[in-house]
Amino acid sequence: MIAFLKHRIAGQMLTAPPALGHLEATVMEILWERGESNVHDVMQTLDRRLAYTTVMTTLDRLYKKGLLNRHKSARAFVYAPRWSHREWEQKRAGEFVAGFLSGPEPSGELLISCLVEAVGQQDGALLDELERKIRQKRKELCQQRKP
Amino acid sequence: MIVPYLLRFLLLCLASFFLVHLALGLIAWFAARTAIGLALRMRPQTGARLLLAVRLFPAGFALLVVALICAPSYFWLEPKGTPEPIGLAFLSAAALGAAGWGLSVGRAILAAARSVRHIRRFRRAGRETRLPGEASPVWVIEDPAPRVMLAGLIRPQVVISRKVIAALSSEQLAAVLRHERAHGRSRDNLKRLLVLLAPGILPFIRGFGALERGWAKITEWAADDRAAAGDSQRSLTLAAALVRVARLGAVPSHPPLVTSLMADGMDLETRVDRLLAATSVATPQSGRAGILPGSFAIVLGGLLVAAMVHPATLSAAHEFLETLIR
Repeated sequence: MIAFLKHRIAGQMLTAPPALGHLEATVMEILWERGESNVHDVMQTLDRRLAYTTVMTTLDRLYKKGLLNRHKSARAFVYAPRWSHREWEQKRAGEFVAGFLSGPEPSGELLISCLVEAVGQQDGALLDELERKIRQKRKELCQQRKP
Repeated sequence: MIVPYLLRFLLLCLASFFLVHLALGLIAWFAARTAIGLALRMRPQTGARLLLAVRLFPAGFALLVVALICAPSYFWLEPKGTPEPIGLAFLSAAALGAAGWGLSVGRAILAAARSVRHIRRFRRAGRETRLPGEASPVWVIEDPAPRVMLAGLIRPQVVISRKVIAALSSEQLAAVLRHERAHGRSRDNLKRLLVLLAPGILPFIRGFGALERGWAKITEWAADDRAAAGDSQRSLTLAAALVRVARLGAVPSHPPLVTSLMADGMDLETRVDRLLAATSVATPQSGRAGILPGSFAIVLGGLLVAAMVHPATLSAAHEFLETLIR
């Protein structure tokens, strides 16, 4: 029964990505970069000195939040990210948008109009860049034709 | 369940088609990624042909097996007037074969009807005009969307909004029209219909999405190359025209049997980069490149057909089908 409840709770946690603290986010970045790592590996990669227990607690918390998988190797836990960085970002973005759209109507409209504007700006920047390339190519062709 | 001679033949055709198509469809599905990778490295015209061949191969070959093996072996070796029982597995395969064909034919008819409706709407909203310097007329429509497309299956015609004509220079307009006519010469709208007609791996799982998207993308590249015809100035003009049309705004969705200049808006950057690269290395178009593989395919096909209609093959096939029916 307890195992069943644990599983259900873990399942619910997986549907909504949990918020990450600063140290948790840093540790996740390290694991995405390194892949499978133990507490020592993470400590060595961190840019500041932290106690072994602090890193161990952080990794354990990330495991309990459902972000990491772990297995025992030579009496120590080895942790690995459950999702790739991209999958995690997609989950977060999806959750953010879903939360925004489930709010009152104006907030949904506001979000969509902001997204359309942002996409439009990006498109405009891309078209500017393409036009710049075409102008440059035309110039090169003209120079080649001149004796 | 006992069924009469001709109904059994119909069920046999459907079940054989389904089984052969499923096996070949799975092979094509596994090979899709490799085929797309290969096609991207080939000349676009050859790459588009390769992807279309891979997409149509399961249905084409399964039809060939039914027409050249199942049907002759049945009529030659199956005694007439003897009703035979058929098994549930065989009946299920026949039902799945019928469902697959029914869905794809239905989809193709719906797509054709939508396209005809759109073409009629465009014709009502516009007029046939002969643009300066152009040999054949185009349909110019009053539409707020920047539409440039090739509509129609048998005698396709270019449809273009006045907004696009006003925005492009005469050279850019000529480049855009050459692009659309290149689609017409390769009969891309007719090929789209064939792709829609070809059943998916299973009735409700098409499974060839990546192949179809890859083919659509490479046909655009092929039309760009044909429009540029190895001329650096033309490549540059077409690239500039693409960007100019993209600036006019998003193109609304178009019917499935219509080719649109900006169909794959996400691919604009790649298309422009390709055209600019073509200005550095102008590759003359050769019509002989496909002759050798074409002849090889014809010889191989001939040998295959000869092996298929051989009496020993038909007899073995009949025995196998007898087992399948029960």
